[in-house]
Amino acid sequence: MKGRAAPAIFLGMPTVFLVGLFVLPLVSMVVLSVWRTENYHIIRDFSLHNYEVLATEGAYMTFLVRSLAMASAVSLICTLLAWPVAYGITLYGGRYKLLLTLAFAVPFLTGEVLRIIALQGLLGPAGLLNGLLLSLGAAPLRVIMYTNVASAIGLVYLYLPIVVTVIYLSLLNFDQRLIDAATIFGASPARAFFEITWPLNLFGTLIGFALCFIPCLSATLAPRFLGGPNGTLYGMAMAQQFGESGTWALGAAMGVVLFAVSLLLVIVVARLVDLRRTGFTGFGRG
Amino acid sequence: MRLKPGKAALLGTVAVSYLFLYLPVVHIGLASFARNSNFPYPPKWSLDTMARLFSNSLYQTALANSLVIGICSALLATALAGLATIGLMRHAGRRAPLYLALFIAPLFVAEVLLGISSLIFNGLFLGLRGNMVSAVLANVVHCFSYALLIIATQLYRYDWRLDDAAMVFGASPARTFFEVTLPLIWPGLLGAFIVAFIMAFNNLEISFYLLGATPTLPSAAWGALRYGVKPELYALATCVNLVVLLLLSLMFVLMRTGLVTFGHRPERERSAV
Repeated sequence: MKGRAAPAIFLGMPTVFLVGLFVLPLVSMVVLSVWRTENYHIIRDFSLHNYEVLATEGAYMTFLVRSLAMASAVSLICTLLAWPVAYGITLYGGRYKLLLTLAFAVPFLTGEVLRIIALQGLLGPAGLLNGLLLSLGAAPLRVIMYTNVASAIGLVYLYLPIVVTVIYLSLLNFDQRLIDAATIFGASPARAFFEITWPLNLFGTLIGFALCFIPCLSATLAPRFLGGPNGTLYGMAMAQQFGESGTWALGAAMGVVLFAVSLLLVIVVARLVDLRRTGFTGFGRG
Repeated sequence: MRLKPGKAALLGTVAVSYLFLYLPVVHIGLASFARNSNFPYPPKWSLDTMARLFSNSLYQTALANSLVIGICSALLATALAGLATIGLMRHAGRRAPLYLALFIAPLFVAEVLLGISSLIFNGLFLGLRGNMVSAVLANVVHCFSYALLIIATQLYRYDWRLDDAAMVFGASPARTFFEVTLPLIWPGLLGAFIVAFIMAFNNLEISFYLLGATPTLPSAAWGALRYGVKPELYALATCVNLVVLLLLSLMFVLMRTGLVTFGHRPERERSAV
């Protein structure tokens, strides 16, 4: 057998790296959130003042509720859209499956700013949609420029690919012979879907949902460039604390709130799903 | 054969989704090569916009910075994720779920939170000003989890008995790694490298808070976007789209032609039963 050195290298190095550059920064954000900023200086004494401001000042609560509603709606739409897409690719993709899934990655990997630019080309005042309407002689559509609807379309555009990929991977690992077995024993296609396919892929679906919900909740770019005056979301307000207003401590408290909501969601997902029931085999089966 | 309504609905949704994803991309692609950039139908071809983009020195500096961040982050993330995957599969044992939870946790933290918390940690607790090294390291955290998942899907079916066999015949662990493991797992590592590179290259929200005044391509685009969309931005996005498309087609061709069939080898399938 190998000595003790191997686990230390293989598991130790990534662990040290993540603890140092991922866990410690998050902890320092929590620490900063109980300090104060006055005139761009950070005063290091414990107070829950920031959280008080967040809880009592109406605007922040509005932003939070709006963000939660927006993230829920967008994640739901993404999941509802992604399921048929992923299912269609697994069923009928044939030898083009790989190509079809990689094609989803191209827009996903282009980066948020550039995709927002592309979306402005579609939805913006001088964009494709309005250009089309104008050239047909119709009036430009005002509903979808700089509104919450535009923000939502933008967020769906940004995060649909990752939801599709996650659900697709879940379906790929799912043993299609189970469906055959169910149909042979007389289950209708609908029943086979709801009793076998859906529960066995529930974990993948929820992971996809979470991976859409979490970045949507802290979205900073889409609401800023696509949303209107009533479109400020929590993440955008948080980013402002680190930019223009310079109130880092309040921003850190907002970060903690966002992080706590994300964590809560992950815990709920983990609680909802019995991993063994979903056919998750996990690592360590070398 | 008649088309079943279920099948038609599924394929219809797939088609509509691709249309939705690619319509803006294709539109700005046309716009950036056309003189009438607002509504290029039919396009009057012209390279003016592209020429203006390439002569802009801000974008040149930004491109260089983004390349450095992308390459450094991708190298580090791939190496660490490779280590972590092998560690999880070979050495973690019962504690594998714990390690796995830590390793994929960055997926569940929004990019902007990673950026802000790293900014606080660096600026307040370490007293560091914005610099490339911290930006690279923060990007590695984010790319690491994606790289881990990509390498894990490739390594899942790797036959570790090959390593054991090499070691039985007297190869040192290092030699086993370089002569047996690495030649077999490089496609997975390459895939992870490509994806990590593209992600770090295009990242705004992590790099932005850690770099201070150093421009990257996304932050330069962000800065310009605040003053409204200009045709140059279309051209920039189109260039990046083309590069991403090229890299992913490269991956696709490698996987298709069988250069990268590893991970789906039939021998392993038989022995696994």
